[in-house]
Amino acid sequence: MAQTFKKSFDLRLRVFVPLGLLCLGAVALGAIYLGLPSNKDAGYRPEQPVEYSHKLHAGNLGIDCRYCHNTVDRAAFAAVPTTETCMNCHHKVKTNSSKLTLVRESYGKGEAIPWVKVHVLPDYVYFNHQAHVTQGVSCVSCHGRVDQMIKVAQVAPLSMGWCLDCHRNPAPNIRPVEFVTKLDWQPDRPAEEIGRELIAQKGINPPVDCAGCHR
Amino acid sequence: MIVNIESIQTAQPEKSYWRSASQLAGTAKFQEWAHREFPEGASELPEGASRRTLLKFMGATLALAGLTACRRPEEHILPLANGSEDLVPGKPVFYNSVFSMNGISAGVMVETHDGRPTKIEGNPLHPHSLGAASAFAQASILGLYDPDRIAQHTHDGNGVGWDNFVAAVPAAFSGDGAKLRFISQRIGSPTYLRLKAETLAKFPGAKWVEYEALPVDSAREGARIAFGRPVLVNYDFSKAQAILALDFDFLGLDASTILNMRQWADGRRVRGREDGMNRVYAVESQYSITGAMADHRLRMRASDVMGVLQALAVRLGVLPAAGRKFPASERASKFVEVLAKDLSANKGRCVLAVGPRQPAEVHALALLVNEALGNLGVTVTLLPAAEAPSEIAAIKQLAADLNSGAVETLVVLGGNPAYDAPADLNFAAAMAKAKTRIYLGEDQNETAAASNWVLQGANYLETWGDGRGFDGTASIQQPMIQPLFDGKSQIEFLATILAAPATRGYALVRDTWKGQLADEKAWRKAVHDGIIAGTAAVPVTAAVNKAAVTEAIGRASGAPGDDEIELVFVPSSHAYDGRFNNNAWLIEAPDPITKITWDNVALLSQATAGKLGLRTDVRQINISDSSYEAEFISIKRNGAELKIPAIVQPGHADNSITLAMGFGRAKTGQVGEGAGFNVFPLRTSEAPSIALGASVSKTSGSLEIASTQDHGTLTDALRTRSEIVREVTLDEFQKDPHAVQEIAHKVPEFALYENPKYTSEYQWGMTVDLNACIGCNACLVACQSENNIPTVGKEQVLHGREMHWIRLDRYYSGSVEEAELVYQPMACVHCEEAPCENVCPVAATVHGPEGLNEMVYNRCVGTRYCSNNCPYKVRRFNFFNYHDKRLGWMSLGNKAPEIASLQYNPDVTVRMRGIMEKCTYCVQRISHARIQAKTEARSIRDGEIVTACQQTCPTNAITFGNISDPNSAVSKSKALDTNYAVLQELNVKPRTTYLGKLRNPHPELV
Repeated sequence: MAQTFKKSFDLRLRVFVPLGLLCLGAVALGAIYLGLPSNKDAGYRPEQPVEYSHKLHAGNLGIDCRYCHNTVDRAAFAAVPTTETCMNCHHKVKTNSSKLTLVRESYGKGEAIPWVKVHVLPDYVYFNHQAHVTQGVSCVSCHGRVDQMIKVAQVAPLSMGWCLDCHRNPAPNIRPVEFVTKLDWQPDRPAEEIGRELIAQKGINPPVDCAGCHR
Repeated sequence: MIVNIESIQTAQPEKSYWRSASQLAGTAKFQEWAHREFPEGASELPEGASRRTLLKFMGATLALAGLTACRRPEEHILPLANGSEDLVPGKPVFYNSVFSMNGISAGVMVETHDGRPTKIEGNPLHPHSLGAASAFAQASILGLYDPDRIAQHTHDGNGVGWDNFVAAVPAAFSGDGAKLRFISQRIGSPTYLRLKAETLAKFPGAKWVEYEALPVDSAREGARIAFGRPVLVNYDFSKAQAILALDFDFLGLDASTILNMRQWADGRRVRGREDGMNRVYAVESQYSITGAMADHRLRMRASDVMGVLQALAVRLGVLPAAGRKFPASERASKFVEVLAKDLSANKGRCVLAVGPRQPAEVHALALLVNEALGNLGVTVTLLPAAEAPSEIAAIKQLAADLNSGAVETLVVLGGNPAYDAPADLNFAAAMAKAKTRIYLGEDQNETAAASNWVLQGANYLETWGDGRGFDGTASIQQPMIQPLFDGKSQIEFLATILAAPATRGYALVRDTWKGQLADEKAWRKAVHDGIIAGTAAVPVTAAVNKAAVTEAIGRASGAPGDDEIELVFVPSSHAYDGRFNNNAWLIEAPDPITKITWDNVALLSQATAGKLGLRTDVRQINISDSSYEAEFISIKRNGAELKIPAIVQPGHADNSITLAMGFGRAKTGQVGEGAGFNVFPLRTSEAPSIALGASVSKTSGSLEIASTQDHGTLTDALRTRSEIVREVTLDEFQKDPHAVQEIAHKVPEFALYENPKYTSEYQWGMTVDLNACIGCNACLVACQSENNIPTVGKEQVLHGREMHWIRLDRYYSGSVEEAELVYQPMACVHCEEAPCENVCPVAATVHGPEGLNEMVYNRCVGTRYCSNNCPYKVRRFNFFNYHDKRLGWMSLGNKAPEIASLQYNPDVTVRMRGIMEKCTYCVQRISHARIQAKTEARSIRDGEIVTACQQTCPTNAITFGNISDPNSAVSKSKALDTNYAVLQELNVKPRTTYLGKLRNPHPELV
């Protein structure tokens, strides 16, 4: 019976199969690296239906975050404002701006503006804004300097490891509650020191067990 | 540390408990079953698809998932354009309303998330619901999101708009209405009654029939005989020391209010030696919850209850001689003798309560005895009632009118008479004789199929209305959501045919209450509170006319022959009278007594089964599939034949067959389709509750019944006395308060591992009072609703894969004939040294600092080691994507309809395939309370966290709280002498402990 494989096939098998596996492994590692939340998610900057600039409103005009995101200190969600909230000012200001066409339409028809979600957490994570904001975690700790963003981007990876870094050592991110929405807050002494004092004073004890966020 | 296992093993059990006859018999097969985590073959796909096929499918899914992951899915946030001041996205809002059944309203509080109702709870302000809701009320939310709801008005099968109907009104409703008939369910709503009266005033020739399959006629007639006028009899169990329930499941399916259950339980809360307990006697044919809770239970044919009552009346000197006999045994005579003694010793503090299935003369005689014992006005409250015609007579007349062609337009407002009317009326056929048949209702059913106008009804959560409790306490029913389709309520329908100026429900209800709630503030308060103050009826006094009662007894037919087999028609714990036939939560909730799901069967005693030639050798039960092969019997009556599987029910009366209504529907949704057997063809107008003259025989064939009674059987590690359920008598407890704790041997406590350190301020724990638990399923459904627990279908239950986090274990003790019963709700007990945690390879189940045994879904890879290592067998595995029923073989249809997902609780993860899950102590509620407390810079208050099961428990059997606070309710409960841990010898230190059951038998009957 004739041999199915030549003798040289043995050598090729020994060389090419491991080589092929190595290549696959490299590709997989690369994919995993690129897929890390810090690479994949941070920097996400989607187009929004309305060209709304946080830099203009929160930065230049100095509107407090809570004027629009008004449920941030009493609910899990920091509500995206209703169209009415926009129109509070814009029925007087820039009433003919073409950038506001969709806002006026939404207000007139009573239909929602389809804002694109920037900060997306998995469905099994139950993040709660109230729990953080009322304890002195500033918006800037997770969202970055939104007051300097024309178009909002995600700056932090929002990965579990990143959350836990702070839950294990919250001091650098705890500030007096009155400065929570002051994104450019500059303490006169090290922030961590102030944070430690506040933690001791309020008994802040962030959960590091699974059920703290997953349920 | 040496434990002498040998000596413990040889100790003889004092009382043995069993869940099924197989366990009692101790078959080898059963032993094997009990030691298995899941039944044999549980990992296999049912029918056809092998595991390999599934892997193929999964491979394909993975490939697709890989491709889609390249692009980040865009998610949108859609804020309201015009906001509402009080609406906080993500925060639930609670509204009070009422849920009505049988014309009686129960106060409910509805949780809504962003405008969609997600959960029903009891209204704590309502005097009859006291913050608790029955399993039916809780599950009623599925009716709103039922994918099989009537979603469009139709005329002759063609979709039409409401306007088309409005246009057709003048033709169908004209003249004096001599050829117009209405049939509806029982009405308690004041607005509905007002519009009914207005309708009958506008069409004086028309007639209105109220009919429901669950009988009220005999209770009404009994009171009329006794008092000479219509009086509504109600019972106040809070003042009763001795309670006699005559074929009356007042804690179960015959209950009209949560109040009765609470009153009963409050009379049995023993906290120390000085506390007393009421004593319950039950005489019944089937095994009911009330019978299960009774201290003495006499099994007796329903037809023989009169005999027992007469014998009792003679002993008490109320009647000179008993006209009726009953198949007397020594046990029965002794029972009556002691009962008479106990009742006379508790004059004015006892009660004889009669069930709705018993004939009028039993009701009348019981009232006479109650009067003689001085109970009227104390434990038996009399409320004013309006003259109401017999429902059976009315529907009989309606059928006759239909058949004679006297009816041109028939309006059916809810209900399903084509299915549940007495069989001899042949209602569906009679209906066809009316030219215009209008049906207004929510469900696709037999009556809708027989109508030419099918109008979609609004769910009670979609519409304005009102209702009254049993004593007239009125409440406003407010809508939680706009009608999902174009549903109309009955009151809106009536306003339309009356051509009223306003036809919106809100205007109609306001109009009814314009006198009492004229003031806007009063109206708002009534809507907010869910109760209108001062509307309860004032009890009346009346004297029993002894001569009339004696005469009625004389007129009553004699007792059936001792060997004659009776049929008793009872509501089903699943479908009730058929109205919840398409409700998956209720259909899959195991029956409190039989633990059967997805079916109704004929229940009979072992002796009767033997007489019919059925298998009585209980060992033949097919254990490997955890199912029951029930043999079919054939029941012939009234020219109809019913073939139905029969099951031996321990403790059932001989020569009696219990048939549950509500199954075997010809027209229903995907859930109810093909489930169970229709017993209505056997039920006739002259015997709507207890029927004689049936011929019963064994017939060929058998059916696999999905019963969960052996699922999750706990085995005693040392196989000695019961380590699981513990009960003592009140007498034993008073002599030795530690009697419950002494049932088990004290095992020295030592741990193999170092104890985890629990440092948090809060340490959660729970107690369950077995003395109060009535096994009613309310907690099970509440848990399902709160925690997004899927239903799995009959086939999956047969494989032991039901997902309920709470397993309501039911244990019998004693013999099959006179079995006693005790319930034990069992969910994850949150062991401090949890065996499940040690074996998880991926740390998906770990301990939290507050003592919670946490289940981390996103880590779980589905090895099921944890479940295998759980001594309490409380972990549930998602073998399939039960929520997303896209695999074609599921019993519940092909694809989960989107509407069903509207019910989900957004605070709890919806689990997918391959994930283990179990009770979390409602960790989402703990989180909410913790965040709120932190925000307000305070500690969590005792009682601030209420778990879903605790909240809805009608008898307050569950206590939850912080065990590190010695003043918390749960700490006080755990300090009681009856507190014990199940399987304590395993030393896993469960956080859920139980308060032992106490029975209060009469010393002379022990």
